[in-house]
Amino acid sequence: MVRAGSSPGDHRPTATSAWLFPVVIVAAVATVAVWTVPSSARMAVLWCGVTATVAIAVLAVEVARRGHLNAELRAEVARHDAELRYRLAQQEAETVRLAKEQLPDAMARLQRGEFLEDVLKSVETRTEGLTAEFHSAHQAVLHSVLTAVSAEEDIRESSQRAFVNIARRVQAIVHQQASSLREMEDRHGQSPDVFGDLLRLDHGTALIGRLADSIAVLGGARPGRQWSKAVPLFSVLRGAMSRITDYQRVELHSVSEVAVVGTAVEPLIHAVAELLDNATRYSPPQTRVHLTAVEVQSGIAIEIEDGGVSLSEEARQRAEQMLAQAQAGMDLNGLGETPRLGLAVVGRLSKAYGFQVSLRTSAYGGVRAVLIVPQDLITTTTNATGLAHGIGAASGPRSVPAPRAGSDQGSGSDAKRSTGPQASAPVMADMADDTPVVHERTSNGLPQRRRRTPPAAAAPTGSASPAGSVTASRAKPPAQEPVQPGMWLAAFQSGVSGETPAAAPVSNSDESLDKGE
Amino acid sequence: MSESGQGWEEGSPERLYVITGGRSGGSETSTLDLVTLVRARTGPPPGMPPEQAAIVRLCSSPLSVAEISAYLNLPVSVVTVLLTDLLAEKRVEARSPIPPANLPDVALIEAVMHGLEKL
Repeated sequence: MVRAGSSPGDHRPTATSAWLFPVVIVAAVATVAVWTVPSSARMAVLWCGVTATVAIAVLAVEVARRGHLNAELRAEVARHDAELRYRLAQQEAETVRLAKEQLPDAMARLQRGEFLEDVLKSVETRTEGLTAEFHSAHQAVLHSVLTAVSAEEDIRESSQRAFVNIARRVQAIVHQQASSLREMEDRHGQSPDVFGDLLRLDHGTALIGRLADSIAVLGGARPGRQWSKAVPLFSVLRGAMSRITDYQRVELHSVSEVAVVGTAVEPLIHAVAELLDNATRYSPPQTRVHLTAVEVQSGIAIEIEDGGVSLSEEARQRAEQMLAQAQAGMDLNGLGETPRLGLAVVGRLSKAYGFQVSLRTSAYGGVRAVLIVPQDLITTTTNATGLAHGIGAASGPRSVPAPRAGSDQGSGSDAKRSTGPQASAPVMADMADDTPVVHERTSNGLPQRRRRTPPAAAAPTGSASPAGSVTASRAKPPAQEPVQPGMWLAAFQSGVSGETPAAAPVSNSDESLDKGE
Repeated sequence: MSESGQGWEEGSPERLYVITGGRSGGSETSTLDLVTLVRARTGPPPGMPPEQAAIVRLCSSPLSVAEISAYLNLPVSVVTVLLTDLLAEKRVEARSPIPPANLPDVALIEAVMHGLEKL
């Protein structure tokens, strides 16, 4: 632009001199001619010279004017050209921005779940230097691409929802089946043949349940069941074992005495089950799979080691890549024709709950999978539910006093039997015997409070001797439960042996119970 | 996704076949029946599975199979499988009740009784 503007200024003087030059020459030549020719022809030559000079002058002026015009035109063309270039560059930049920034950004936002309208509104940006047409064309491209993407996203989401929905239904059926199978197992526990069949059915049901859980997890939902209380790690690991085909090959070694918080129980069971399934599936059927759990700085490390096919470095990388891919958010579409659900599920769960999984070559030659459960998902066993019948043989301790007393007197085969009924003192000794055993159990974190309530409730109604308060409190519950005649007999005996029957205060009996248990 | 309508789980995540290792206590457990008395020989060693440890603890005084089953909340077949293992390891001893065949015949006793009455 600057060049175009400045060019007419210095162009003009040269142009002026340029058109003067031929005129001057012609004039000079004509003058010389006028002087040199004889005087008779002088007049004619003079006219010719003047005419020629005038004609040349006119011509020169015209040429100069045209030249000037030409220069101006050229400048304008140059200006125009520069403007076009500028606009082109801007359009190019805008297109690049569309491809590299706007589209990916909008796509990401759509995938994050924002609404199409919002995204479209926010991508409408600067328009300076660009024609409205170009801008609207750009917007049209954006619009159609985003609409297509969001439609695709909707389809994907709805298909995932459908998957999850079906998985949920299967889970519900499996769950119901499992609980009714457990009831049947309790009912037919005495006939080993039926029981064995029931166990096989139970196992099959658990396998179906795991498959349904896997589909639900890959569909972006939680695995099926939810646990309200913490569950001991031992039970969790055995729960994982119970969901694979070859659970008999798994050897559960030392497990540290911790519990897993309720929210993480099901995902952990599922993840460990998938890893165990991989371990048992890809190792020879006669080999064992070792399962251990040890405490480490960052939490609990669950190690699964098989003595199977060694994992080549390439295969290991592929597996870890699959894990990473799943953590980045792979969906059902990415599974391919022969779905290898296992690692994908583990990856998904790891991402959601902060587990760390790594696969290495094992010292046994097979694969060693280590899953680290972060510290915040771990709690002490005392918080754990007592209902798991693993460590939960929990139901054992609370009922210990009763069976002892019952068997002492009911069975008639124990040496203590003779001491039982005699007087309160030996019975107290008997109870003292009980105490250390019970304490030992308490150290295992087993809840044992359940038994206290029924005797406490029974205490005011039952009549017993205040002197041997332990005996009294022992004797009262049997007074209500005719199932244990031995206990009743003990109460009767102690009553007969001289103590005056009186209503024992509730608090007293509670205390004695505390001591007793 | 939050699915409602799924209750909280309260039970145990482990199934019974894991506890028994898939055995149902069919053939080899003929020596144990519901009223067989079991008594522990030693305390539970460390590292023992919790069910076995619980049985050993419970049986510090003799206890019948049926009672163990009730206290552990496990079916009888499971308990018999576990007890068979413990018996094999000599951790517990079982004492069968006196078989009916070893008791004197009721008819014989009645005959003796009648004979005595006739004296």
